[in-house]
Amino acid sequence: MGEVIHKRHKPLQVNPFKLSQPMGATLAFLGIDGCMPLMHGGQGCTSFTKVFFTRHFCEPIAIQTTAVTDAIAVLDGGNYSIVESVKNITKKVTPSLIGLHTTGLPETKGDDIRGVAAQIDYPLIYVNTPDYEGSFESGWALTCKALIEQLVESTETIDDNKLILLPHISLQPIEVEKIKEFIEGFGFNVFVLPDLSTSLDGHLGDKQAALSSGGITVAEIRRLADAGLVITVGDSMQGCATVLQKKNSEMRHQHFSHLQGLEATDALAALLLTETGFSGPPLPVARWRQRMQDAMLDSHFSLGQTRFLVAAEPDHIAGICQSLYDAGGKVTLAISTIDSPQLEKIKAEKVLVGDLEDAEQMADDYDLIVGNFHCEALAHRLHKGLVLRGFPNWEQVGNPLKNDVLYEGGAYFLFECANAATEMRGRQTG
Amino acid sequence: MANKPKIKELLDESSCAHNKTRKTACNAPTPGATTGGCAFEGAQISLFPYADAAHLVHGPMTCLGSSWETRATGTSYTGRDLTQMGFTTDITVNDVVFSGEEKVAASIDYIMEHYSPEAVFVYATCVTAMIGDDIDLLCKQASDRHDIPVVPVHAPGFVGSKNLGSRLGGEAALAHLIGTKEPEKTTNFDINLIGEYNVTGDMWQYTPLLEELGIRVLSTLSGDGRVAPICTAHRAKLNVIVCAKSLVSLTRKMEERYGIPSISLSFYGRRDTSNGLLAIAEGLGDAGLIKRTKRLITREEMKLTEKLKPYQKFFKGKKAVLNTGGNKTWSIAAALQDLGIEVVATAVKKATEDDREKARETLGKHGVLMMNPGIEQAKIIDETGADLLLAGGRSLYTAIKKGIAFADVNQEKKKSYGGYAGLLNLAEDLKNALQNPVFKNVARRAPWEK
Repeated sequence: MGEVIHKRHKPLQVNPFKLSQPMGATLAFLGIDGCMPLMHGGQGCTSFTKVFFTRHFCEPIAIQTTAVTDAIAVLDGGNYSIVESVKNITKKVTPSLIGLHTTGLPETKGDDIRGVAAQIDYPLIYVNTPDYEGSFESGWALTCKALIEQLVESTETIDDNKLILLPHISLQPIEVEKIKEFIEGFGFNVFVLPDLSTSLDGHLGDKQAALSSGGITVAEIRRLADAGLVITVGDSMQGCATVLQKKNSEMRHQHFSHLQGLEATDALAALLLTETGFSGPPLPVARWRQRMQDAMLDSHFSLGQTRFLVAAEPDHIAGICQSLYDAGGKVTLAISTIDSPQLEKIKAEKVLVGDLEDAEQMADDYDLIVGNFHCEALAHRLHKGLVLRGFPNWEQVGNPLKNDVLYEGGAYFLFECANAATEMRGRQTG
Repeated sequence: MANKPKIKELLDESSCAHNKTRKTACNAPTPGATTGGCAFEGAQISLFPYADAAHLVHGPMTCLGSSWETRATGTSYTGRDLTQMGFTTDITVNDVVFSGEEKVAASIDYIMEHYSPEAVFVYATCVTAMIGDDIDLLCKQASDRHDIPVVPVHAPGFVGSKNLGSRLGGEAALAHLIGTKEPEKTTNFDINLIGEYNVTGDMWQYTPLLEELGIRVLSTLSGDGRVAPICTAHRAKLNVIVCAKSLVSLTRKMEERYGIPSISLSFYGRRDTSNGLLAIAEGLGDAGLIKRTKRLITREEMKLTEKLKPYQKFFKGKKAVLNTGGNKTWSIAAALQDLGIEVVATAVKKATEDDREKARETLGKHGVLMMNPGIEQAKIIDETGADLLLAGGRSLYTAIKKGIAFADVNQEKKKSYGGYAGLLNLAEDLKNALQNPVFKNVARRAPWEK
């Protein structure tokens, strides 16, 4: 594709939209039913994370902190604060699982969380996610990997009807559900790890939840290994499948870099047809493909005269750019939070790892921004169009139900971008 | 390290009411049972509103990545508002091993070259404090290099709560800014506004009234703030602490060092606003000013009463249960009463002893102070027939179950409820909440439910 710059060129980040690894881990644990994510670090990391997701999802967020203080930080190897936390959490609630994930503080002093976890007599999964490494996307993937390694029971039997879906972090709950339903339409029994589609999909439950309410159950995770096929979506998730295959060498793996746009959706449909031997897809799928084709044609005029900046996590950028590219949108600049092999494949004229100051400095290169909440000030100041995507979106409600994937979501997404571009041009000339 | 504030001293603040009765002041957080932000967040809150200063967070991504652009602190600054920008060293494992000091120096130079702020605040965080990066020295060197204040802020998250962090932010301003410059002129009516951050433009609700009275806001910490004025804060005649317990250490020290007396007040609701204005006038001790202030209060209260008339009938006989924390336990209660709403209960679980006393005063002897609001509030709604629950999002279910109106007090507010005019905003929002049928409608049973 175009030029790719893999490294930051500055000593600092200015107006960052990168998010931290432990926050990605938290979100992954929130896709497990009845889970209590436990962040190991100072109380602020947890507080920031809680507020961050509460505002994005408009839902109460379950999370606790080991509340490491300076005295504990110096004297303790993590044992005290973790053991005490588990005691105090289980005094009030009975989680199906405690999701222990670290931050930079305990990692700097080298806490042995694996050793501590071994001492704890309660269902607990641990994962090392220092926030001075990786980012949001990798925190989610590492947690998924840890869940598989520590929970899934090995087996040699295969259930050809059972399929595992491992989605990347930037897929909103409804998108996960739509992919799940798409596959189920071909007769598969689908399990998603982690599964936000039934936990943070913005549903009104029966009571206030102190734990995550919905998601895949711990029992279901334990029994995942007999699935005939695992599908990963997003390059960050590819490694998780390898770990899963260690639990059952008979399990097959298919990878998708993303599931946005006609081509990627076609590839998924083709795979499912081959797997099932069906001659055609369920009727609604065929219908939605025709609507998607029509949407591409209807939106191409507006998109074709629009230059885009896409700022997101690598796996998310890949999907957005492909979708726009297919209908003639010119992604002149894509900014990624972090480096990834995905960047080489992105359909954009220029791809770089950077921040929103970079976006501001290259403002002449694009007309419309697809990015998170922090892009709003930028769009406003530079009079650019804006389509809000990614974490966080504190400006709008309804985030968990925004669907950009497969034929159906793809149609919605193109319409939204085309309309935003038209509206922007109207504002500029009017 | 001489400049580093002594945390123990800050926790033993003699101006804090609870230190007369309890040994441990702001107790250590309980692992697995803690809510609320850390010291870094507190420091950030107290210093971020300086719009012409850059705020460089030396730490990994969680610290700034999840916290910038989260507070709607209004500014009248016409230059680039640096408070709505984020600067962070975003340290990597390499920095943890080999130190991030070089990055700090280079980052300050970068900021100076591209944004030329009036000052740079450099915040230590858990990881960078732990690896021992010497931000004191780096700031001093950068200050010499660029000839502006470069202020180290020692409030890594692990030292304690948000409240402590705000104190540490105040300490940083005291050590490096306050008293470093003389104002161009002084008047007998110069005040500092301390602990007012101008969230949603709260202070603009009453600063025009101060101006009309001839009271000059010499500096703020830090609402609608600038660097130059806070450097001259030592010449004020009075420190006015607005709705914030955390900065009493700062004002006590300013009293000791510069002889500036301080008063603590709130501008939430009609009575508090009137009392606040009068307290400032009395604090400045000028008979003419006091008289003028009383006249202005009468005029403003009459204006407000007139504007509230349409609401009066609506709120008459309405009862509310309030479930929040800190000073909101009584300040929102007082504002509700100003609107004619009866506050039958308020939660005091997350309130200081001072706040509890004030809550008792505000609610009177029949009001319930809830120590365990999660359990108590539903029962109280039943017993009192309350019409409105003001609480955090988690309590929404209680309101729906009881079929009463709900207002989220913790939601990031978009408009100001401060001063006289803010009360009208509150009245309008509560009226909308009470009139909204949604709370009853969503509680409808589905056809397949019994």
